[in-house]
Amino acid sequence: MNYLIIGASAAGISCVEAIRSIDMEGKITVVSDENYPVYSRCMLSYYLAGIIPEGKLKYREDDFYRKFNVNAIIGKKVDAVMSSDKKVKLSDGSVLTFDKLLIATGSRSKMEKIPGIEKEGVFGLRNIDDARKIEKRLQNSKAAVMLGGGLIGLRAAYALHKRGIKVTVVVKSKHVLSQMLDEEGAKFIQDKIEKEGIKVLTGLAAKEILGNKCSPRIHSGVSEANSVSGVVLENGEKIDCQIVIIGKGVQANMELVKNTEIKTEKGIVVNDYLRTTVSDIYAAGDVAQANDLITGESTINALWPNAVIQGKIAGFNMVEKNIKYDGSISMNSVEFFELPTISCGITKPKGEEYEILVRKNIASSIYRKIILKDNKIVGFVLVKDVDKSGIFGLLLKKKINVSSIKEVMMGNNFDFAKIIPLIKQYKSEFAEKEYSEILI
Amino acid sequence: MLNEGKKIYCDVSKCLGCRSCELACAVEHSKSKTLFNAIKEEPVPIHRRRVQAVDEIIISDACHHCEDAPCISACMSGAMYKAEDGSTQHIEEKCVGCWMCIMVCPFAAISRQTKLALKCDLCKDNEKGPQCIISCPTKALISKEV
Ligand SMILES: Cc1cc2nc3c(=O)[nH]c(=O)nc-3n(C[C@H](O)[C@H](O)[C@H](O)COP(=O)(O)OP(=O)(O)OC[C@H]3O[C@@H](n4cnc5c(N)ncnc54)[C@H](O)[C@@H]3O)c2cc1C
Ligand code: SF4
Ligand code: SF4
Repeated sequence: MNYLIIGASAAGISCVEAIRSIDMEGKITVVSDENYPVYSRCMLSYYLAGIIPEGKLKYREDDFYRKFNVNAIIGKKVDAVMSSDKKVKLSDGSVLTFDKLLIATGSRSKMEKIPGIEKEGVFGLRNIDDARKIEKRLQNSKAAVMLGGGLIGLRAAYALHKRGIKVTVVVKSKHVLSQMLDEEGAKFIQDKIEKEGIKVLTGLAAKEILGNKCSPRIHSGVSEANSVSGVVLENGEKIDCQIVIIGKGVQANMELVKNTEIKTEKGIVVNDYLRTTVSDIYAAGDVAQANDLITGESTINALWPNAVIQGKIAGFNMVEKNIKYDGSISMNSVEFFELPTISCGITKPKGEEYEILVRKNIASSIYRKIILKDNKIVGFVLVKDVDKSGIFGLLLKKKINVSSIKEVMMGNNFDFAKIIPLIKQYKSEFAEKEYSEILI
Repeated sequence: MLNEGKKIYCDVSKCLGCRSCELACAVEHSKSKTLFNAIKEEPVPIHRRRVQAVDEIIISDACHHCEDAPCISACMSGAMYKAEDGSTQHIEEKCVGCWMCIMVCPFAAISRQTKLALKCDLCKDNEKGPQCIISCPTKALISKEV
């Protein structure tokens, strides 16, 4: 079997590991346009913050490709997939063939169309190159503006703040982390980061990015006239800064399947087996549009664990395994200034059909909100007291009726033991052997 | 395929909830490895096994070293990994404390220390084996090589 994988990140690497766990013989080729060893982009903000050195971005050993017997073509881009010929064309004109293909090309930062976006000092934060460029400019900068208050925007803000930069976050929504959190939960985080010195402006967007003609402190080698010097907001307010980071979400890297039969919408559409609309071609990770486990909607939850699990299942299915994917989950974990937050699923329910359980203590920053529909958990937000989140996640994934433990779930002493009666009651839902082992 | 490895089970009919296992676990994962000194250490050694109760059941629970471990899929630093013996292990030097593993561990078997996840490692560095098993006065904790 001749396997070809495009993209060497969360989804691509986990696909390699899955294939090799059952097929030691098949030929595996990986193509990546990033000229680096296997690294984790989730940790880029930790690197920027100075918490880890660049070397620690690697999440697999240097000999990964050798160990897994992979032909790695690094630093080359796939320009086009020729689906009917079972071939792909690389940027250098060469052509590769495949029996089974995985497209794991991920996504890139969405760039806004505001005047000045092309200036030196405006960055996305997506790969090592971005981080290195920010790192370099950081040395001679005093202030930065984040456009967008999502996960990446806030992580970047936190990192730059740690490096002594004065940071302002400009958010169009009513509150930060609006994709991930409800307003109440987000308030805990916003209050915390503002208290620590990061400025947050909500309900506002940037109108223009200003440039400086001669910025003696910043020698970038590029035309000085084009160097960021500030941002003008919709309300006319001007913020001086030398760095602008755009955190306005991501868009799928799917240009390579243009002119093929492969169906695309927001991303490359896949079925419950991670297959695209063309046989023998699979997609996984940020580029793949799969069903959401909770809403059933076909969408992209562009997150690391989803990419890893999709890559793994796609890998198994490329070896003819036929394993069904449960669906992606929107979930995330952040921690700023020692205040951890984890959220999952529907956090901002709209409609009568939802029941909301809340436990809150503003003084100690504790917040637990659980959203139920027909007595089943469909989402939750946990601030500070996050340690039990996996149990809520388990009940959500298994779609268990929790009416008998509602009170316990909101109590101080909730732990794994409290769901043992439910595991007994819904035995068939808890089919994995880890659960049956408990009941000896 | 990975072998399924070693696991620690709790026989709930024998567990009295005395918490000897918690103590033994904390001491084993302390710097000094003695109770006397461990209680004075900074940070305070944290046990990775917890005695829990529901209705009439008392259970001492920790990482189940899941076959298809969610914590490994979620770990973005490569700190969590499957060891050759099938156990789920954690490289502390790689961990950044992002709590993605906590987010997905169905048993809530991972604890937090500042920027560091902590979980049962089957006392891999102690040739005598899991200390919780040795410490249990009723022999409620048992290890099985599956
Ligand atoms: C700063 C930051 C922080 C994040 N934090 C979190 C977090 O805390 N939790 C979380 O769950 N997720 C987080 N994410 C998101 C997470 O990183 C992504 O969901 C994950 O990396 C997706 O993996 P992937 O394999 O699908 O794609 P990607 O990681 O995007 O990798 C795709 C790879 O394919 C390459 N490629 C693209 N097109 C081609 C082509 N035509 N030819 C060859 N190669 C190509 C790309 O250059 C890239 O190397 C974060 C992301 C960033 C940037
Ligand atoms: S830490 Fe949790 S998810 Fe990971 S193997 Fe142990 S029990 Fe399973
Ligand atoms: S807290 Fe540590 S072990 Fe857990 S997912 Fe993050 S890096 Fe991995």
